Amino acid sequence: MRCTRVVVVGLDGLEPSIVEAMMARGECPNLARLSREGGYRRLATTLPAQTPVAWSSFAVGANPGAHGIFDFLTRDPASHRPQVALFRYEQKSRFLPPRAVNLRGGKPVWTWLSEAGVESTVLRHPCTYPPDAPRGRMLAGVGVPDIRGGFGATSWITDAPEGPGRDSEHLAQVTPDRDGRATLHLRGPRAGAEDATAEVRLRVRPAAGSAEASVELAAEGSEPLTLAEGWWSDWVRLRFKVGALQRVHAQVRFHLVSVSPLRLHAGPVQFDPDEPLFPISHPWDYAGELRRGVGRFHTLGMAEDHTGLNNGRITEDAYLAQCDDVLLERKAMMHYELARFDRGFFFCLFDTPDRIQHMFWRFRDPAHPAHRGETPPPEMARVIEDHYRACDGIVGEAWEHAGDDTLFVVASDHGFADFRRAFHLNAWLHSQGYLALKGGVEPGEGAGDLFEHVDWTRTRAYACGLAGLWLNLKGREEEGVVPPAHAEALKAEIAARLGGLADPERGDLAVRRVVRREDAYSGPHVERAPDLLLCCAPGYRISSASALGGVPGRLFEDNLERWSGDHVVDPAAVPGVLFMNRPVAARAPRVVDMAPTILGALGAPGGETMEGRPLLP
Amino acid sequence: MKILVVGLDCAAPELLLGEPLPNIRRLMEAGAYGRLESIVPPITVPAWMSMSTSRDPGVLGVYGFRNRVDHSYAGMRTADSRWFRALTMWDQVAIQGGRSVIVGVPPSYPPRPINGVSVGCFLTPDTATSTYTHPASAAERIRAWVGDYPVDVKGFRTEDKDKLHADVLTMTRKHFEVVRRLMVEEPWDYFHFVEIGLDRIHHGFWKHHDPKHVRHDPSNPYKDVVRDYYRLLDHEIGTVMGLLDADTLVLVVSDHGARALDGGFCVNEWLADQGDLALRSRPSTPTPFEELDVDWARTRAWSSGGYYARVFLNVRGREPEGTIAPQEYGAVRDELAARLEATTDPEGRPLGTKVFRPEEIYRRVEGIAPDLIVHFGDLAWRAVGGVGWGAVHVQENDTGPDDCNHAQFGAFVLAGPGVPALGELKGAKLLDIAPTLLEHAGYDVPDGMQGTALVRAVPADGAPPGEQDDDALVRERLRGLGYLG
Repeated sequence: MRCTRVVVVGLDGLEPSIVEAMMARGECPNLARLSREGGYRRLATTLPAQTPVAWSSFAVGANPGAHGIFDFLTRDPASHRPQVALFRYEQKSRFLPPRAVNLRGGKPVWTWLSEAGVESTVLRHPCTYPPDAPRGRMLAGVGVPDIRGGFGATSWITDAPEGPGRDSEHLAQVTPDRDGRATLHLRGPRAGAEDATAEVRLRVRPAAGSAEASVELAAEGSEPLTLAEGWWSDWVRLRFKVGALQRVHAQVRFHLVSVSPLRLHAGPVQFDPDEPLFPISHPWDYAGELRRGVGRFHTLGMAEDHTGLNNGRITEDAYLAQCDDVLLERKAMMHYELARFDRGFFFCLFDTPDRIQHMFWRFRDPAHPAHRGETPPPEMARVIEDHYRACDGIVGEAWEHAGDDTLFVVASDHGFADFRRAFHLNAWLHSQGYLALKGGVEPGEGAGDLFEHVDWTRTRAYACGLAGLWLNLKGREEEGVVPPAHAEALKAEIAARLGGLADPERGDLAVRRVVRREDAYSGPHVERAPDLLLCCAPGYRISSASALGGVPGRLFEDNLERWSGDHVVDPAAVPGVLFMNRPVAARAPRVVDMAPTILGALGAPGGETMEGRPLLP
Repeated sequence: MKILVVGLDCAAPELLLGEPLPNIRRLMEAGAYGRLESIVPPITVPAWMSMSTSRDPGVLGVYGFRNRVDHSYAGMRTADSRWFRALTMWDQVAIQGGRSVIVGVPPSYPPRPINGVSVGCFLTPDTATSTYTHPASAAERIRAWVGDYPVDVKGFRTEDKDKLHADVLTMTRKHFEVVRRLMVEEPWDYFHFVEIGLDRIHHGFWKHHDPKHVRHDPSNPYKDVVRDYYRLLDHEIGTVMGLLDADTLVLVVSDHGARALDGGFCVNEWLADQGDLALRSRPSTPTPFEELDVDWARTRAWSSGGYYARVFLNVRGREPEGTIAPQEYGAVRDELAARLEATTDPEGRPLGTKVFRPEEIYRRVEGIAPDLIVHFGDLAWRAVGGVGWGAVHVQENDTGPDDCNHAQFGAFVLAGPGVPALGELKGAKLLDIAPTLLEHAGYDVPDGMQGTALVRAVPADGAPPGEQDDDALVRERLRGLGYLG
């Protein structure tokens, strides 16, 4: 069935059980109508069930072995250090430009379409940093770092006594003068061994008469703005001096918690769409065009300020307000492009359902450990469903642009599950004698992070990231000790011990199964994957401490974080959703079937080379 | 060491070095940069060849696009690549066994048979019908990469600014795409590319860009065209540099600068008024000089127009109907030069016109040089060659709308292994470029090159800028992933 247009609306992390129940109650009318007039199925996701992994498989129509994205994180075998797995930076010499390199391999659907002469408009697809160069336009999504190369570091500005900065946070203690003036230096990119900083001048204005308490913010070259308690600021443009002549532009938003004491939160400092430090769009100046068309927008891959909320710096309401801004700007981009979209492929991803579920899942269960014994406000229990309703509205708006010649698709990359218990995989490896600490170091705080005190000469396996573990393989890892001839036997032994592992404190099954990468993946990039992949039972996840190379003192722990829902569990437990305005010609569609479906609908070749199968008759 | 020359025709130092262009700024910080004094006249032909050979126009015997080939009154011909025989940088590289890629270095039509690949410049008549590459098969590859390959925009002196803008952008993107392809697919030791689009953007949009231009309208919709085009160039240059080996010497350079053009000085109109040029009839509508009824037997001087004027004396025994006795030549020329230097603007204020005598500014004078080279108002006024305007000063231009003239100073940025971070360098001249590049990259500097090397090599710091990220930064970067809170 040939179409002139394919429109895909991505709703990251939309959970089938919630959508199905809401449709049954008549609460998602557009999705319900789409399922009646076309088709609806649960959509099998990837192992691991993660945004970068699953959407990359969506794009290339094959398992992660074909594109090489297996997790947000990987490790450098030369140093064992955890690092970002989505992109890397390289610079050959001082005078040559540093380059961002996208680590996603494979041939995505928009490249196949380009070769067939078909244009694509791709908004915020994960793992498009730096962007591909398709015929058409592309704005990069998840994977775009903050200005410092990280997933998103925030700042906390206060004049009150304060402990150390929290996770991924810079603490700025300021002392306003008698007029309430203070100067703040926000951290920017590394320039040599130093952090470049940008100056923001503050003026604190306590409430006086009828005037609200507020803070005035002024950065060099940016209009001063006034921010009242409880509000997010508009964008403040920043300029960082990174050399005698070189400047880097960036943008940031502030949230004012209180004026006295001064408690001011700054979200991650992000690329300026007009002058990004590294390309975030194709053509290179398309991000600037969009900024002129729809206003200034978040450029960070994970735009929602979960760090601020998880650190307890901003409230749930402030987080939701910021998520709303992200949703609205994304919607504006979608409309800006759909208004001129007449043929080819259109894709726009809405990330907010994923980010809201991560932070609000705990409110579905008053007994969730993240409440830390307190009674959650009952109105928070509605937040996720409210957001699904907003997403349903977006689906309706996009659908209006679909005609008889259009394949209209709504899809999520994975579903969602509870996250109550954290599994310290490295602690388990230590307890089983696979991972050794240096003399005198015991598991726990003292073991540090980033494998600081691991004795590599006696370590046979180690875990990094959210998905699995690696052997300390001779010839591959620096200081590797496992001879390649012993690798298979060791993997089998670990898999047998770890698969079916129960949480001794709760008696629940924690790890459903453990899979060898050779059994999970095929393709040119399998070697980048962890040697063994874990499929945790819903409710469980590899802990963040373990993911970053820590070796905690316990095997399991309650998850007390506001980040209380997750999906990096057995993929069978967290399928996504698939809605189409045509019948879905498969009983069990998979995310890898989407690229061949899109190519087939547009009459372009490529689908036949892919692992996935077209879902249209 | 490899050599890459990125030529930006007409790049103005105040823009190239003054705008916050990230890739240019990185090069500036790593190496040396500054204003670059061009030749007289500061004109694309022969300026790029003066740079490439380190020889002045007199030694090259080429004084502009059009040159006299004999002493007749009709003998102007357009110079092409065959006019230049002096040893170029790429010739020297070839002598020492190296291979080159030359794209659009004026004049490069007919295509130069070099050791490597040569792609014709904007003087190529038509890339669809003429052979414009060496080897000829390169044209097929170019077509496969970018389709039609425009060497220039058609009719850049136009009122259709939107079309001009779109055409230049399309052309420039194609040029850089071809450069990137050649850079990757061809082996090379020397790569030299000249983008002509910047010259076209300047001529087409300068008054829209420059608030000091006499006809600037601050509300015009094309205010940012010039600056945005520099940003595009910087972006494209960044993508080119992304393909380089670290062992490459990089030069970004222009052949001359750009400046606001206040108007046209009708030089033959003026010579006729002054009695130097005798016309049997004075046309009432603008008429090209070639169509005038000149009474040569009563004419002492005439001129060819353009961004500058070439003034020729009618000398007995040299020109067919010469009127100036050879022994009077010097006095007549001095007297005319003095009058030219005294020319005024429409309000009678001195223009600040500069007059040059070839033998005073060139090492030798080969071929047939103009007797005087004139920069009206130090190039604030162009020279209009036609007659019949009814005035000496005009705002219209005989060849179409144009609000930019060339300026004497172009710009350069030099960086690479062993180039010290000198910052701004003063006193650099166009003819210094070739000895600088050849010497620094380890080639011999051929005899006869007139310039001197601008930088002295320092031991190269071979290590890339390796900042080992500390644990705190790694932690900060990764913990911002909510999964790891």
